[in-house]
Amino acid sequence: MASTFGMGTPMRGLAIVFLSAAIVVPTAHAELYYLIVGGIGGESRYEKIFSEQTQSLAQVAEQTLGDDLRVSLIYGEEATKTALKSKLQHLAESTSASDSLAVFLVGHGSYDGEQYKFNLTGPDISDDELLELVNAVPAGEKLLVNTSSASGALIGQWAGEDRTLITATRSGGERNATRFGEYWVASLTSEEADVNKNGIITAEEAFRYTEARVAGSFESEGTLATEHAQIEGDAPGRFIVARLRPRKSDTPKIQLLRDESQELEKQIDELRMKREEMGTDSYLNALQELLLELALVQRQIDEEQSVQ
Amino acid sequence: MKSSLFSKWVAKRGGASACIWYSVVGTLLLTPFDISALVVNYSTERNASLRECDDFLYRGQRLDAQRCYSLLLREDIDVRLQAEAAWSLGDLKLANSHFQTSIKQYPEDPNARVRWGYLFHTTHQDNEASSLFQEALELEANHAGAKLGLAKVSAGRFGARARAWVEEVLTQDDEALEAYLLLARMELEDGSIDDADELLDKALAIADLQNLPPLEAYALKASVDLLKGVTDSPWTSLGLEFNPIYGEIYATPAHFYVITRRYREAISLLQQAVDLQPDLWSAHAELGINLLRVNRIVEAQAHLATAYEGDPFSAKIVNTLRLIDSFENFQVIQVDAPRSDLSSGSGVIMRLNNEEAEVLQSYVHDLVQRSIEVFSQRYGFNLVEPVVVELYPEHDDFAVRISGLPGIGLLGVTFGYLVAMDSPSGRGDGDYHWGTTLWHEMAHVFTLEATNHLVPRWYSEGISVFEEWSTGPLPGRHIPLVVMDAIREGKLLPTAELDSGFIRPTYEDQVIVSYMQAGLICQYIEARWGQHGLVTLLRLFGEDQSTPDAIVNAFSLTLEAFDTGFKEFLDSELAPVIDDFTSWQAHTQEAYQAAEREDWPRALEAAERAIALYPEYVGEGNPHTLKAKVYEVLGETEEITTALQSYWQLGGHDPIALTKLGQLLHDSRLYKEAISVLSDVIYVAPLEEDLHAQLGDWLLQDARPEQALQEYKTLLAMDSYDRAASYFRLAQAYHALEDEPKTREHLLYALEIAPHYRDAQQLLLEVVH
Repeated sequence: MASTFGMGTPMRGLAIVFLSAAIVVPTAHAELYYLIVGGIGGESRYEKIFSEQTQSLAQVAEQTLGDDLRVSLIYGEEATKTALKSKLQHLAESTSASDSLAVFLVGHGSYDGEQYKFNLTGPDISDDELLELVNAVPAGEKLLVNTSSASGALIGQWAGEDRTLITATRSGGERNATRFGEYWVASLTSEEADVNKNGIITAEEAFRYTEARVAGSFESEGTLATEHAQIEGDAPGRFIVARLRPRKSDTPKIQLLRDESQELEKQIDELRMKREEMGTDSYLNALQELLLELALVQRQIDEEQSVQ
Repeated sequence: MKSSLFSKWVAKRGGASACIWYSVVGTLLLTPFDISALVVNYSTERNASLRECDDFLYRGQRLDAQRCYSLLLREDIDVRLQAEAAWSLGDLKLANSHFQTSIKQYPEDPNARVRWGYLFHTTHQDNEASSLFQEALELEANHAGAKLGLAKVSAGRFGARARAWVEEVLTQDDEALEAYLLLARMELEDGSIDDADELLDKALAIADLQNLPPLEAYALKASVDLLKGVTDSPWTSLGLEFNPIYGEIYATPAHFYVITRRYREAISLLQQAVDLQPDLWSAHAELGINLLRVNRIVEAQAHLATAYEGDPFSAKIVNTLRLIDSFENFQVIQVDAPRSDLSSGSGVIMRLNNEEAEVLQSYVHDLVQRSIEVFSQRYGFNLVEPVVVELYPEHDDFAVRISGLPGIGLLGVTFGYLVAMDSPSGRGDGDYHWGTTLWHEMAHVFTLEATNHLVPRWYSEGISVFEEWSTGPLPGRHIPLVVMDAIREGKLLPTAELDSGFIRPTYEDQVIVSYMQAGLICQYIEARWGQHGLVTLLRLFGEDQSTPDAIVNAFSLTLEAFDTGFKEFLDSELAPVIDDFTSWQAHTQEAYQAAEREDWPRALEAAERAIALYPEYVGEGNPHTLKAKVYEVLGETEEITTALQSYWQLGGHDPIALTKLGQLLHDSRLYKEAISVLSDVIYVAPLEEDLHAQLGDWLLQDARPEQALQEYKTLLAMDSYDRAASYFRLAQAYHALEDEPKTREHLLYALEIAPHYRDAQQLLLEVVH
């Protein structure tokens, strides 16, 4: 596992909670932009799969943002190198450092031992070209999800501070068509993927869910896995990739309640840190008190939102 | 394996410590042995000087023998004799070196190659031994020693070719003592005791005539007595008179107890063997392996360690010691019998891998307990010891457990009160129905223990297969296609000879054919004489009656009449299928080919024709699931359900098909049926998270919170991906059971992970307020 943030094994249970607490709610001016690219399928079967996956991703993006103004989508015949360059150049011009960018590549990839290429209609785009274009986008936080075969060739090339890379394979040598895209798309609408049940799917939650599902699919077939997804970067736990419920603007009252809710969450986190030193009964009693308060605040938020 | 005793020990000795199973030993021994292994040389052409020394050895006068061989070794003699002397002194490295030189010096001498081959054979390197025997035959096509060498290698693997080699030798020389001994051993292994006895009489006469040691003949004669029920054999005394430290006089009969599955008696004899001859490493190894079979692990480990000290190159010993080390990765879970009445058994001990124990234990225990109650009633026998059930996630571990060597193709084995089998994860495919395997093995526990292990192999297997079909968790009679072919080709054996189909198969699929034939014979008995007939026959076997005698006494029929009746039964049951078998194959093939080219009407029509001819077939490539797939393509939901229901009711158990059927039934509001179908998937794919979540949800919805709780506990034990949801599910089940403290506790665990979990918040508010 090429993980730069110290999570070599799938994270389950409690560990997720601490990450979820670190989610940064974008400020009023910080915007999230999506670029979704469906590469060439080569066969009708893959054309169909890639088309469906890109469209599903676009729907999730629209639901997450509340509109399609910051969702760019190209796929099929339109997905040429020129079109992709144009989209990224446009993003480079229209975003600022306070914004975030999520790029999803769905399709086939190839690797010749030296260079990775994402397969597009017409000439393919190489790893160098792609990363240069993405780097040119000034958005402060970036996420690149590459679901293609051989996508692991990008490992070690790009991710770092504020840049998260997710690939379907662990190297350029894993060249079979991948299953990652299918489960990634599923993760973005899955209650199960939302392990902390806050209605938001982070890049990390989506990755962990997808990774587990891909491995499970090979296991249940009794076949050797031909892909091993990877994640690199230092902020996958705070990068929102989907919302399970439509986003609504907050009234001042709701905002106050949210502040209260956040304060309670903070207290819960602090309590958890003391778990070892407290007896189980005292811990659970204290936890119950905070959780009940939080549940009541949450109920008020939901009621307020329902009358909006 | 981690910091295990054996691995540490091996490492300390400078040996290999990697956790791999040995299947090939590699180079010949590097350390000298003691003068302990007594390998009798029956060649009448053996050098007189060597024979002089041999005589001391055969008489148990070891110091004299050692002195004699040592003197011989110091003399300037032929390198072939030096090799023999070194071998007899236990210096195998030197013997090996001398044999190598012999081959160079005497490339045309087949004897040198044969003797070197025997050296390899006695050090467990049969592939090398076989090559040398073959080379000797190239030099001399009728070399008796080479043929006997090949026969020994083949016999050690229970190969069918062994007998042919021996018979060839006897055709050439009807006084070949070694051939008679080997043939007698094989006859005994096949259960032909009287034939073996006759051969041994000849062998003894030849030994006397040729002045050869009768030790092996005595040991085999004692084995004959033992198999006839005479435990205090005069041949044992004769053997000990000849050589007072001849441990094989006990170890050889023990072998026949082992192959007839009388492990407790074998242990007793092997203990006598090592008491008499403490450096009889093979007996220590056998003793260790058999102690393991009765769950006496600490003693087993001690004897195997002793064996390893003396014979460090036996793959069987090394692998078994490593297996024992690996037990540190297993949990031992003991559950007492649920009631004090005898028919509920004496409890169950499960040895399950740490990674699976929590998930599997309740399902394994439930099935074992159910089988105990069913079989106690059906066979009128109550277990008096706890049943030990071991499940191995690594198939090679299981194979080592049962045979000491990896690669064996069985699914489960019963040693009496101990059952070892592949765990559900031990097989990579979705076709392994661990539930039916465990049921099969549990039937063996009863047939073995009810008869004090005297039941013949065919009947024990027959009952197990029959019970799989009639009372097990997988309904229906399942006969593989290769068996249908064998029946059609008239390859079934007479009942009295059926054991040989298991022990020395003569064609590729004969073992599975024999399993099925045995099951069908039991079906025949049950159909004609009822369950009482099965019980009566079992009782007679328990009285040590042979198959012919037991059948005559149980059913007042001659064996021939019994076999004729069975044939008529078989005809009435299977003749329609067998007569139309070729048509069935053609229709099935046509259905699959039509589906391949997306000709759905044709595929359906052919599949339906095939099903009409042989509906019971639900194995790989069956027409039922194809039919369901075609309906799925056509979008005909009701028809998919009907097709899959038939498949399931006939014993189809593909987990994907059953999961689909469960969902369809649930969607049609047939909740109880849906639950039944999904419950069956546990016997094939119990390690699927979604299965337990779904089944638990349906059980809860069906107002069965106790059962739902079990599924949710399993889900949590699987370290499920969505732990918050698992805790919430448990809370819901506890809530339904009105256990409010547990409800609260699990809600808090769920919310600790996911504080905004709406459903959990609501239930917490409800419970606490």
